[in-house]
Amino acid sequence: MMSLRWARLIAWKDLQVEFRSGGRLLAMIAFVVLACFLFAFALDRSQVPARGVAAGLAWLTILFAATTGAGRTFDTEEEDGAFRHLLLTPVTRHAIFLGKSAANLALVWIVTILAFVALTSFLGIRDAGSIAQHGAVLLPGTIGLAAVGTFFGLMSRHSSLGDTLLPVLTFPLLVPVIFFGATASARVFMERPWTEISGSVRLLWAFAIGFAAVGSVLFRYLAEE
Amino acid sequence: MRLSARGLVCDYGPTRALDGVDIDAAGGSILAVFGPNGAGKTTLLRALSGERKPDAGEVMLDGAAVSGSDPAWRARVGLVSHRTGLYRKLTVGENLAFFGALHGIDRDPQMAVRALGEVGAPDLVGIPVEKLSRGQRQRAALARSLLHDPDVLFLDEPFTGLDPGGASTLETMLNARREAGTVVVLVTHDLERGLKLADRAVVLRRGRKVLDARSPGREAEDLLPFFTAGGGTAA
Repeated sequence: MMSLRWARLIAWKDLQVEFRSGGRLLAMIAFVVLACFLFAFALDRSQVPARGVAAGLAWLTILFAATTGAGRTFDTEEEDGAFRHLLLTPVTRHAIFLGKSAANLALVWIVTILAFVALTSFLGIRDAGSIAQHGAVLLPGTIGLAAVGTFFGLMSRHSSLGDTLLPVLTFPLLVPVIFFGATASARVFMERPWTEISGSVRLLWAFAIGFAAVGSVLFRYLAEE
Repeated sequence: MRLSARGLVCDYGPTRALDGVDIDAAGGSILAVFGPNGAGKTTLLRALSGERKPDAGEVMLDGAAVSGSDPAWRARVGLVSHRTGLYRKLTVGENLAFFGALHGIDRDPQMAVRALGEVGAPDLVGIPVEKLSRGQRQRAALARSLLHDPDVLFLDEPFTGLDPGGASTLETMLNARREAGTVVVLVTHDLERGLKLADRAVVLRRGRKVLDARSPGREAEDLLPFFTAGGGTAA
């Protein structure tokens, strides 16, 4: 229970700092809007049905935006050495990981909603399927993205390659999220029955819970010298 | 209460930053650690506080080994470093409330004002850290380190950026901590001020302890030879 309280405090602090500085969120939002805008011109919609490709484009946009944001997860911790002091409190390392992942998740959700609104608008998709089903697919997928981004965000900070390393580390690991997420979202767009979608959603939950658990355990080895 | 360390060794790759250092610091006393740049002072502080696991040796409190991986030990430690460790976009009060809550002492709404009062800056509570001067930030960082009433207080160049008034307040605060029985370990380049405050002085050079002596009665000039290679004799 204490860990959950610590995680909540850290997530709330991260979001307060983020909304006051706005740099990371604005960069993610700008990326999503511009990417979706360009997709509208990159596709020949007389040859390619927008509903057939929207899911893949949405997931890739969310992945790239989430990676952009994850690379800066620890910026505010390091600008005046706050992370050193955070580690010297009694807070458990998994609480730090969960708190920072939760803050990342909130930001990813903002850009996820924006990506779906922008894509359906720019691609002229009138019937995008059930919003509830889209949410049910996106929730576990974005939890996985946020957890992976937080974990490797710190690892890339420790590397001399910095943010350049982040996509190299995360993209191979996130192949299952993109594959099952895009598959499930495409079926929601095509208004297929939930029974055709639920299997992918279960696998997304398995990845999200699995990585959150593994990341929680391994985070201390990254955080401590 | 007694903080001690035996045979501390810390390596950064092929470089040995600490080479078998022993330390003893009693509760109700101030131990000052001096040394030229690169002597291993900050590494010693990191090893003692538990931030960095030593490659050999151990740190003990009252004879029992302590480690940075133990939350109970971290709850007893306060740290002031030359970087403030505060979040610039939050106000001083929000920073103190955050760190206080992590220590489980967020029930008292006056906690931040009281901690700031102890460092002579109660009016900083509502000001964002990014709007503060370097000296004001240092005072806020001091207040943060005192919030949870630590048993062991580590200070790494705490006088950096403080005006004479701030430095005087810090000296008063350190003396008060000594009276309260806290173990205080102070790393500083300021020989005069360090010697004036400390009960015991340690000089490190190239990761080794070259002097460990009572500091009252010593002058800065007495220590200067220890800052040059091969100079100084332990007394």
